[in-house]
Amino acid sequence: MFEEASEVFENMLKSSFPLTFIVFLPAVLILVSPLPAEAAHEFTVYRMQQYDLQGQPYGTRNAILNTEARTVEAEVLSRRCVLMRLVDFSFEQYQKALRQSAGAVVIILPKNMSTMPQDIVQQFMEVEPELLAMETVVPVYFALEDDELLSIYTQTQLSSSSQGSSSAAEVLLHTATANGFQMVTSGAQSKAVSDWTITSLEGKLNGVGGEDLPTIVLVAHYDSFGVAPWLSYGADSNASGVAVLLELARLFSRLYSYKRTHAGYNLLFFLSGGGKFNYQGTKRWLEDNLDHTESSLLQDNVAFVLCLDTLGNGDSLHLHVSKPPKEGSPQHTLLKELEMVTSTQSPDLRFNMVHKKINLADDMLAWEHERFGIRRLPAFTLSHLESHRNALRSSIMDMRSVSSSLDGAGEVTAWPHVELQKLSRNTKLIAEALARVIYNLTEKVMKRQLATVPQQVQEEQLSSVVDWLTAQPRAAQLVDKDSSVVSTLEYYFSRYLKDVKQHSTKADKRDPEFVFYDQLKQTMNAYRVKPAIFDLLLAVCIAAYLGLMYFAVQHFGILYSVLRRVTQPKTKQH
Amino acid sequence: MTLFHFGNCFALAYFPYFITYKCSGLSEYNAFWRCVQAGATYLFVQLCKMLFLATFFPTWEGGAGVYDFVGEFMKATVDLADLLGLHLVMSRNAGKGEYKIMVAAMGWATAELIMSRCIPLWVGARGIEFDWKYIQMSFDSNISLVHYIAMAAVVWMFTRYDLPKSFRLPVTVLLGLCVYKSFLMELFVHIFLLGSWTALLVKAVTTGAISLCSLFLFITLVHSN
Repeated sequence: MFEEASEVFENMLKSSFPLTFIVFLPAVLILVSPLPAEAAHEFTVYRMQQYDLQGQPYGTRNAILNTEARTVEAEVLSRRCVLMRLVDFSFEQYQKALRQSAGAVVIILPKNMSTMPQDIVQQFMEVEPELLAMETVVPVYFALEDDELLSIYTQTQLSSSSQGSSSAAEVLLHTATANGFQMVTSGAQSKAVSDWTITSLEGKLNGVGGEDLPTIVLVAHYDSFGVAPWLSYGADSNASGVAVLLELARLFSRLYSYKRTHAGYNLLFFLSGGGKFNYQGTKRWLEDNLDHTESSLLQDNVAFVLCLDTLGNGDSLHLHVSKPPKEGSPQHTLLKELEMVTSTQSPDLRFNMVHKKINLADDMLAWEHERFGIRRLPAFTLSHLESHRNALRSSIMDMRSVSSSLDGAGEVTAWPHVELQKLSRNTKLIAEALARVIYNLTEKVMKRQLATVPQQVQEEQLSSVVDWLTAQPRAAQLVDKDSSVVSTLEYYFSRYLKDVKQHSTKADKRDPEFVFYDQLKQTMNAYRVKPAIFDLLLAVCIAAYLGLMYFAVQHFGILYSVLRRVTQPKTKQH
Repeated sequence: MTLFHFGNCFALAYFPYFITYKCSGLSEYNAFWRCVQAGATYLFVQLCKMLFLATFFPTWEGGAGVYDFVGEFMKATVDLADLLGLHLVMSRNAGKGEYKIMVAAMGWATAELIMSRCIPLWVGARGIEFDWKYIQMSFDSNISLVHYIAMAAVVWMFTRYDLPKSFRLPVTVLLGLCVYKSFLMELFVHIFLLGSWTALLVKAVTTGAISLCSLFLFITLVHSN
């Protein structure tokens, strides 16, 4: 049998080579050509946070998604991908979906947040920490709305809401006309990132006159935080603090470059990473400086540590302390100076001191100064927020873009955004109060060069720093040692400061304090699908059609004879 | 979607061919190899057409959405080679007129079905994404079967020596319609911006009309003498 076959094949090759060529070549070409990847819609999705902090898991635990889409209106949500729009989002519905063991949740955010009503934004901001704290096994994704996605949502909503309430015929008709969507992510399962480094930056300005000069430390964390790392731009918290710190560095580097204004204080600037993860960068920096090295500015004679956090908005300033400063200490002087400067320069600004003891039993430290407080360094945090629990500090709603559209209008909104005038006003106040402490001035004696300090605060400089920082997400999981954020900040530091150094932190291998996970940004495909019942229905229809075909072909003779009868009389008449 | 969906599309596309083959009596004439030969001729003609097109018709580089009227017309003119091919197949087969026509048309249409629809169905209809276009493609293959039968009949009539003078004109018109049908359809769809289902319906109706006309002529011709 095989011999015969080979004979035939050989004959074919010999006798009609062109024929085989024609038959086989196109077949081979068609078979090897790459399959087209067709999808109804392809869009980028941003995964919810996934990290472990001190052994405690936060956020979603999963990244793989391959289920059919539904909206919350559907009766059965189990093992379905639940689509939600921010407009209709509520925590109760989210919880309900998870209780029904939904396969995944995709929350659709509007492209332009400023179109959202304020209360929805406020509500979402408050829900964000709860979303993270909840134990979530299924993947949760965020997507930015576009027309295609919106149409997918409306179609899904239509099919979800009409379920269960209609007759069988209606359901059958519905399956033929309506579209279902299969949501599929392309990436792999999320896994822990080993050896992630959190980078912090340090730079200083040395004072003159004597050996053991007091040191003032200025600190701000540069990372941002939100429910999804790729969406956290952190404008007010803490691009504003970084902007103020950089502006102070610029101002004092100028003052320190003149002999007459070179003061007897060392200024130490520190931009910490991992600030949203219990101030990991600060913790490591303190350990490095206090425990390991012999000589460090932090070891001897620290006047105070001033942490800058969330300074871009608001009509009040709060000095958060964990221990009220003693009379006569430099800390107390700064407090008094700040009080005095605010009351004289901007009387409508409310300034007060907020006292909160360090709660070591708590999982998270409230403010950055508590890291220093634990190491017995006199420290406080300046912020326009009254409480560290304010949702603004860890929200994806904290964006710059909202404010830029409102800048000119001067509208007063409760939107989380950075208002440039207030940022520069705060910077001026801090700069003046610091100058007064450093140069030991009372109200009356104000040297001419120094009187211009607050005036030299450049609004453009502040705004460009904030704009640049908020142009990219700066979540701690995304900013590594070589990222442009760190290198640009380092360049900025080295322009004005001396001894600029990077400090990197890695989590301990055996007992990691923080663990980050990857797969935070993925491409999601929405494939148009039909339910299995539709296939059956289609099969029945096709069978009926084929039966009709068979009938028609079988009885083709009838048509033939009819046509013949029509033509025959004509030929007879001829 | 699923393998089941592919099965649906496949059945819709292929079964009419099978039914036609069985019911038209071709199977009783043992005409299978003749049909395969017709298919081989189809492949040869297509290859020649492709070579010709690639040599003499540069790719259209106009803007997207602009309809290249002249170019498309010239391309449709190349389809005249199909008529030659069909004539070639029929001239090599001896037998009654109906038999020759059916063998040529079946072989021709089946070869086209296998070469141009099999792979897209296998790749597309089995994919995760659902699209009506595979069902439409299957319907289209049914229409093209009818189209080729009619075309073969017209070619057969055109090449007869004893064709009465009065038949010359209508047969030639029908020939022209057969060749330029797809071109005219495309133009029609382009001008009136038809949806894919409407276009399919229009195509079915046109093909049906052409087939009826050729059947009418065929009957008149066969039974007149």
